[in-house]
Amino acid sequence: MAKTAQEKLDAKREKAYYKKHKHMYRIKPSDIVFNIINYTIFTLFTITCIYPFWYLFINTISDNEMVGRGEINFIPKGLTIQNYLNLRNVSDLGSAFLVSVSRTILGTALMVLASAFVGYLVTKQEMWHRSLCYRFLVITMYFNAGLIPGYMNMVMLGLTNNYLVYIIPGIVAPYNIILVKTYIESIPAELEESAFIDGASYMVVFRHIIWPLSKPILATIAIFGAVGHWNSFQDSLIYMANSPKLYTLQHRLYVYLNQSSNLAALASSAQSAEALKNAAAQQLNSKVIKYTISMVSVLPILCVYPFMMRYFEKGIMLGAVKG
Amino acid sequence: MAKVSKVERGVGDYVYWIIRLMAVVAAVFAFLPAINPIRINDKIDENIALFTSAFSYDSLVSKAGLLLRRGTVSNISFVVAYIASIIMMIGIVILVISICFSLGNVLMKRFGASVALIGSGIGIVGAMVSFIANHLVKLQKFEHPEVDLNATMPMGLILITIAFAVIFITAIALRFILPSGADEDEMYMEPKYKLFLMFLPFGALAFLFCYLPLWGWRYAFFDYQAGGTLSMDNFVGGKWFTYLFQNAATRSDVFRVMRNTLIMSFLGILTSWLPMVFAIFLTEAKSEGFRRFVQIFTTIPNFISWVLVYALALSIFDTTGFINQLRVMIGSLDNIDNAPNYLMSSSGIWFKMWAWGTWKGIGWSAIIYIAGISGIDQQLYEAATVDGAGRFQKMWHITVPGLLPTFFVLLLMSVAAILSNGLDQYLVFQNAVNAKTIKVLDLYVYELGLGGGGSIPLSTVVGMFKSIISVILLFGANALSKALRGESII
Repeated sequence: MAKTAQEKLDAKREKAYYKKHKHMYRIKPSDIVFNIINYTIFTLFTITCIYPFWYLFINTISDNEMVGRGEINFIPKGLTIQNYLNLRNVSDLGSAFLVSVSRTILGTALMVLASAFVGYLVTKQEMWHRSLCYRFLVITMYFNAGLIPGYMNMVMLGLTNNYLVYIIPGIVAPYNIILVKTYIESIPAELEESAFIDGASYMVVFRHIIWPLSKPILATIAIFGAVGHWNSFQDSLIYMANSPKLYTLQHRLYVYLNQSSNLAALASSAQSAEALKNAAAQQLNSKVIKYTISMVSVLPILCVYPFMMRYFEKGIMLGAVKG
Repeated sequence: MAKVSKVERGVGDYVYWIIRLMAVVAAVFAFLPAINPIRINDKIDENIALFTSAFSYDSLVSKAGLLLRRGTVSNISFVVAYIASIIMMIGIVILVISICFSLGNVLMKRFGASVALIGSGIGIVGAMVSFIANHLVKLQKFEHPEVDLNATMPMGLILITIAFAVIFITAIALRFILPSGADEDEMYMEPKYKLFLMFLPFGALAFLFCYLPLWGWRYAFFDYQAGGTLSMDNFVGGKWFTYLFQNAATRSDVFRVMRNTLIMSFLGILTSWLPMVFAIFLTEAKSEGFRRFVQIFTTIPNFISWVLVYALALSIFDTTGFINQLRVMIGSLDNIDNAPNYLMSSSGIWFKMWAWGTWKGIGWSAIIYIAGISGIDQQLYEAATVDGAGRFQKMWHITVPGLLPTFFVLLLMSVAAILSNGLDQYLVFQNAVNAKTIKVLDLYVYELGLGGGGSIPLSTVVGMFKSIISVILLFGANALSKALRGESII
């Protein structure tokens, strides 16, 4: 398409502008030095952030002999998935995995449902003592009775050594409720009002208007909530003292990391008998198994990571902090 | 939308308060171990409440387990008590539902009174069963005089029976007092109460897990042993508060822990400008692909647990870790067998912990500043360029002032959280060599109370101090923010 006269004129003006202010757009030597230093520092720091993951990974998929000789530092050699297959024989790992997966799914789903529903309720001005109810929830973010009273409370409620302790206390999440409430308040009120005029109940409005429209914020809290559940370690440590079967994966990993070398014996049945004859091999084996379990624990996070990027790039999570 | 209410307040509404009050009392009873109505013999744990008894038979018989396994005592009284507790819990739940109906119109109130009648009736049946269980214990004692199992008449059983009876009588009375609602043909409740009732379950959850723990502060005033009981016999008043400072060993522990906590927090606060600098310099990089690359990969560590950070640390800094392999490769270490374990050293542990925290968090913390920078008016930069401002002048005079409000809020929040370093990081990195310098307040409280220290009261005292100081700091920071910026941070 031919350019209009106006566009031509604009282009001409722009050119003239750049010509006039040429001194400002010229690349100075100091800029080059700055850029080199700046890019180098950021590149180096980024490498320190990814390299440990890579190092762990290549050591789990390489030939164990070479791992033992310390030859696997930058690229994997002698590819094998034997280490991952050996995990089948590590006792308690399966149950820990199951506990972590199930609590992540169940806990996140209930938390998101509750946050959406409560977030919607507290936007309703006509609610009886609305601001009191809202404050009742929000205040809980700012005080904490402490670790031991919290533990004694769980004992009193019969929730210690009980799977439900992973799920129930996390259902009401005040911070997420605030996020959802703020989001719902930005939805045009007319949408709701027209539904109410048509005789819809609160539940119908919630299900058919509020829930679909707040999906972006719900997805955000779901992903962050799921990461929180997956990474949970403290509640397992504190409340599951007598129930090793209910340890989360992170807690199980912590236990394994602190075991010296007897872990190798657990996974030995898949290994050749000769390899286990000397202690060095056992030491190595234990190290590689620790690496492999770590890798299994971190993989889900790395998998959902691309989805998370979308949300925190928009800065959705940061709205409340900005004040 | 909100219909005009036809509900009028009458005598019935005031009488209803008796049911409301009594039902709430009964519901609270369910969570207080001291007045557990089914403690019909002295082998039922003093520390479980009616709620727990109804949910778990195992915890009901936890103290009598040995007797039951030996078979010297028949479990019949326990089973009957268990059934009694379930029946009573059902009654209490129905009562709580019935007081929800009391918020509706007269017709609904009448319905609610009927429900209360049913609920209290069930509750009374449960109490009867509990009395039977109590009597069964007495019979058993007659059969096995050698067994040390004594029937006790729990105070709570009498109280809860009275509560149920009062509700029962009031509910019958209400059925007569409330007019039969000639002008109302369907049950109706004002929207404001409906919304409130929908909120109530979530409020109850928040109460159970955020407010109820405060009740646990009472352990600070008792000489409590794990599995023991609280009574006037072991009430010690402020003993643990003075013990904390009078006992030389504890005092030196607390001072050391406070030193570690404050030093590590201050290291974090002193360098809290780092994420801002990170963001400013990252936005100076012209290539968008590079900026995205850096942002994506420097944020990953924020989303892995401290256990995994420790696993990574092991793989890099352990005896046979990456650093030592590299040293062998370049020849600065002759043999991997002589390699040092960098994690097993106490030197510079405060700095190392700060470094791990920064490594994990800086990319994530920078995001808020990057968002802030993109919100700064671009015309300011153009104007400054025209005026001949250089790169650093623009950073200092435009970007930094633009980010300062955010920085200030985050700084105040980190000051308020000065005692809360968290538990995970220090627990996973702790070992025999660095235990003295790495222990922060949260870790100390955990170890004192649960991790082998075994002193619930003392760790409750320390935790109380921490909680109270933290709240004071938070309000102080908030007041400061209000005074300086006219905005609150909470």
